[in-house]
Amino acid sequence: MANKVPAFLLEKHSPARPPGGRGKMRIPFIERGIHNLASVVKTGYVQWETSSADRFFQATDARVKVLFLLFYVVIVSLKRDLLPEVLIGVFVFVLVLASRLNVFNFYKRVLFFAFLFGFLVTLPAAFNVVTGGEVIFPLYHFSAPFNFWIYPIPAEIGITREGLYSVAMVTSRMANSLALSFFVLLTTPFPEIIRALKVLRVPDALLMVIALAYKYIFVFAKTVEDMHLAKKSRLAGGISDEGARRWIAGRIAVIFRKSRLRSEEAYKAMLARGFSGDVRIHGERKLLGRDWATGIAFLAAGLLFLWI
Amino acid sequence: MEEIIRLEELSYSYYGKIPAVSGISLAVGEGARFAVIGANGTGKSTLLQIMDGLIHQSEGKYFFRGNEVSEKALEERDFLRFFRERVGYVFQDSDIQLFCPTVLDELLYGPLQIGVGDKEAMERAAEVMRVLKIENLKDRPPYMLSGGEKKRVAIGSVLSMNPEVLLLDEPTNGLDPRTQCFLVELMLALSEAGKTLVIATHDLSLVDELHADVALLSEEHRLEKTGPCEDILGDEDLLLRVNLIHEHVHHHGEAAHKHRHSHYPFHRH
Repeated sequence: MANKVPAFLLEKHSPARPPGGRGKMRIPFIERGIHNLASVVKTGYVQWETSSADRFFQATDARVKVLFLLFYVVIVSLKRDLLPEVLIGVFVFVLVLASRLNVFNFYKRVLFFAFLFGFLVTLPAAFNVVTGGEVIFPLYHFSAPFNFWIYPIPAEIGITREGLYSVAMVTSRMANSLALSFFVLLTTPFPEIIRALKVLRVPDALLMVIALAYKYIFVFAKTVEDMHLAKKSRLAGGISDEGARRWIAGRIAVIFRKSRLRSEEAYKAMLARGFSGDVRIHGERKLLGRDWATGIAFLAAGLLFLWI
Repeated sequence: MEEIIRLEELSYSYYGKIPAVSGISLAVGEGARFAVIGANGTGKSTLLQIMDGLIHQSEGKYFFRGNEVSEKALEERDFLRFFRERVGYVFQDSDIQLFCPTVLDELLYGPLQIGVGDKEAMERAAEVMRVLKIENLKDRPPYMLSGGEKKRVAIGSVLSMNPEVLLLDEPTNGLDPRTQCFLVELMLALSEAGKTLVIATHDLSLVDELHADVALLSEEHRLEKTGPCEDILGDEDLLLRVNLIHEHVHHHGEAAHKHRHSHYPFHRH
């Protein structure tokens, strides 16, 4: 074998480090985004799986927590004023503190999604073109009102009091619903949530989809991160935005193919262990005194918010 | 033997929760055959990924040819090029490593990245295919290859960059005996050609065949011992303690007896 080693492999590198001076690497946004997203998913997953059970709310039965979540999301959707929304927000904040979750990380996620799916989506409603009413921030003035296609455009374009209020309402509802969901998710190990949903008569097919999707998210994030590392190990220079996009498009195809093969294998593994379409769970425990007490306290607080 | 890799009190944990390696200090000489061994989950792969600058230690320092390797250092273009040209990594899972449309593209990817010209890159790819006996796979997509073929292509994709250090993560895992034998011969040939080999494995027969210097990791993710392979592999109490060999009971006719078992035959003459 020794004499078969190609000649180029016998060439020696200079041991000295080059003087430098070509500056720093620029990592394309899309590359950084993928790596960070995979990392966030994996970290979140591990934190979720290992969520401690010895603190307030973590120790409460998952059925109570799931009912609490559903009840409060309904309350958040029913309220028509900002005050109760703010009070519910404060209530969740107190629960987050009492459960000793990382407040900064918690609200970073909540506010990011609330901004994206609440504020940005409803922002056009703040303008008098969409929501009529008293203009409090005039932005542009036309010489006269006119019609654009089927829309009447007023002479003065601006933000209305009613529009601003509706944006604030939707954003606060979104923030509260997200805060409640993240709060329950981060204080309840995933298998407990599935168990609670089963007890609450959620169909088995839906539970299977949720459980498998949840497991696959981690596998998927790990695959993406490993592929990123594999490329990084052979990348000695910068990569253009276009190159990064092309690589990612290629990887999507590979991951799709891998996912399909993996899903077939996972299903075969389930069949091999006797799966016949029913989700069977073990160790259904009785509600303890503290679970009842917590449930009643949340019910009372919920009724109070409904009344306000 | 000049030192090429040095780790000082290196630690790393996943998600800030799960320790992977803890306070590891070791040095690898230029041209050495070096094996990091330990039971599953002791941190071998993590240590190799740190050595390739793919992940970065949470504590401690890593030096390559006397230059500190850190996230910040690898952001500098010249140092990144210097480092990637010289250190190659073969992943345990070849499926992860192979991401190009065809085998030929895989072999060309690395050389083109480090600035080798098209003509020379093609020559390198052809030479590597010849040595690894994969010329017939040239136009095949990697996912249509067998496990052994994928491993050859994965090694080829790194060899075509002509690194001076090869980091190999469980190189013989899951391969048939003939491919394993081929890989051992290849590693010995590369070592003879002056390459530094660092292998993460729990395959003790591979360590024995390569006659490598050994760093033994404990299940507490610490460095248990370093030394020549005959010292480490000959110390059965040590191997038993770190879970690389075990005691088992078996029968000879009617009589049952218990002895230590390592799943590898030492090569003896």
